Amino acid sequence: MIALQILLTALIYSFILSLLAMGFTLQYITLNVPNLAYSSIAFFCTYLTLTFSILKFSPYTSLPFAFVLGGTISFLLFKFLKLLKEKGMSIVGLMMATIVFDLLLYAGMNIYSDYLARNLQIYTASFSLVEFDFKILGLPGILFISAGTCLSLVILFTLLLFKTKFGIAMRAAVENYALASTQGIDVDRIVGIAWFFVGGVAGISGALYPLWFSMDPWVGARMFITIFAACILGGIKSVYGSIVGGSIIAFSEIFLSYFLSFFFPWVWSYRSVISMIVAAVSLVKMPEGFAGYISKVRKGG
Amino acid sequence: MIEIFLDIIILFCIYAIITLSLNLQHGYTGIFNLGLYFPILVGAMITAYVPGRLAMLLYGIDSRLDYSYNNPTVIDILKNRLIDDPIISITLLFVTVFITIIVCYVLGYLTAYPALKLPADYLALFMLCLSESTRVIGMQTDWLTGGVFGIMVINPFWWLGQNSYYGLSIFIIIATLCVCLIINKVCMSPLGRLLKGIRENELTAECVGKDVKKVKRQVLSFAFVILGLAGVLHAFWMGAVVAGGYTRVDFSYWPWLMMIVGGAGNNLGVLFGAFILVLIRRAMIVSKHAFSFLPFSVVWLEPILLALMLMATLMFRPEGILPERPQSIRDYMKKVLKLES
Repeated sequence: MIALQILLTALIYSFILSLLAMGFTLQYITLNVPNLAYSSIAFFCTYLTLTFSILKFSPYTSLPFAFVLGGTISFLLFKFLKLLKEKGMSIVGLMMATIVFDLLLYAGMNIYSDYLARNLQIYTASFSLVEFDFKILGLPGILFISAGTCLSLVILFTLLLFKTKFGIAMRAAVENYALASTQGIDVDRIVGIAWFFVGGVAGISGALYPLWFSMDPWVGARMFITIFAACILGGIKSVYGSIVGGSIIAFSEIFLSYFLSFFFPWVWSYRSVISMIVAAVSLVKMPEGFAGYISKVRKGG
Repeated sequence: MIEIFLDIIILFCIYAIITLSLNLQHGYTGIFNLGLYFPILVGAMITAYVPGRLAMLLYGIDSRLDYSYNNPTVIDILKNRLIDDPIISITLLFVTVFITIIVCYVLGYLTAYPALKLPADYLALFMLCLSESTRVIGMQTDWLTGGVFGIMVINPFWWLGQNSYYGLSIFIIIATLCVCLIINKVCMSPLGRLLKGIRENELTAECVGKDVKKVKRQVLSFAFVILGLAGVLHAFWMGAVVAGGYTRVDFSYWPWLMMIVGGAGNNLGVLFGAFILVLIRRAMIVSKHAFSFLPFSVVWLEPILLALMLMATLMFRPEGILPERPQSIRDYMKKVLKLES
């Protein structure tokens, strides 16, 4: 029974983490700026799920709203970064600019959490919405919804990227920003739409999170490193690599620490360190990740 | 009133040390380190572990008592002993500082090897990973830092009785002045100019025969030592170490804002930025009763304030209030080559 719970946790975690990692990578390759506010955007939208649950709606009703909210915040961040980039801001300045949004969202989450606690007497410093979920064949609905969302978004993204003019324009913009502009592509519009889409995906991932895991306003800060680890392991310049990275990190964080805890019970407490160590080691030993390694092997390097 | 004033001064001192170290790393050398709280936390952890246990050993306190698990009892016993023993108290303080210097230097040197191979954004995230890992380890390790509840530490100035608070304050102020002088000396020396040269163009510095990697490694190790010292001072000042409290907002983002607001590459500007922001933060806490009408805790206005100030600075004055002043050739000739114009 415990093993099944662990398997479910690992599966749900891997779907959510893969989505988040995919989004982070896409934002990174479009603007070459690591978005430090990314996980906060995702987990800010978690409070929409909480609000819908408080209002007695199904928590899944919040998903389209989370998409719009996440997308809008992400788009605003893109506009801010674009403004600073036009002023000639360095990569350091641009990363600091993403911190501005991270802090605003972090404060926003805590303020809303405080407000609910004081005015509605709802304890939101740490919450889970597992009891609001439905079941299919004894399995939680979140398993099917997160798997379905992850797979459908990956398929949608692939079709968008390879079968539409928008996708071709986006790939051109990613390859060479300046050259794409000279070819008549409205690069800023393309990248802006990509950031909206990615923010929306982050919003959906965050909205799904409390249906299985415990949520608090600090989850965003903690999860950022895990998302980053997944991206680095998969390959920070490969969207599909980051999905693989997300799954590996999720399974290693849950399964590896679970099995190791049979022999060393203290390991379970340190499970979040696993992803941080993976991120640090990958950065140094394999900065291009699995995707870079595979492409090197393909080229016969 | 004097307590509030002293509180502001001490907080300024601790942030001044952190921000000056950051300025040396980023403002002078161009090392983009977002994980400032890694060495700070290491310094705090050493303070949580070393002086208390060493004192227990020196006084032969009942070995069945564990410093971490019986922390309040042990601290009470140690207070009674250290209150009459200034020599041991001061020795414990300096032993802690000495061990922190050694450990942080080694950590800085070891971290620099892989970290400095990375581009700026990866380096920032690598340091963030290290810091966050250390924080999680600190929060989960009861024997080291008391886990999530934290651990109380000794005050090396208990022997001053009622004035122990002032004794510790004076020590922190003197330590800050020493750090300011040392960092300023480094920045004004030919090494400071080399660091600026590396920041501006590493390739050019390498072309004129400078070992850029070695210099950067030394800067990072030195900065780690300074940050570790800030961790020790902060832990002694707080009288306790709670690893979970060493967050990236408080010990990385705030110092970055202080440097950016003050003016990166200018030590005076950085000190000014630190002072202004410490004052604003403390003013908010002291006047929190004025915000009692808000339906949420006033502490959450702090990150909003930080974000808005950062945003305004990046947009309207990215070089800071007191920007770095380029040194004229005439000054350079006078100061470095000792030539008269």
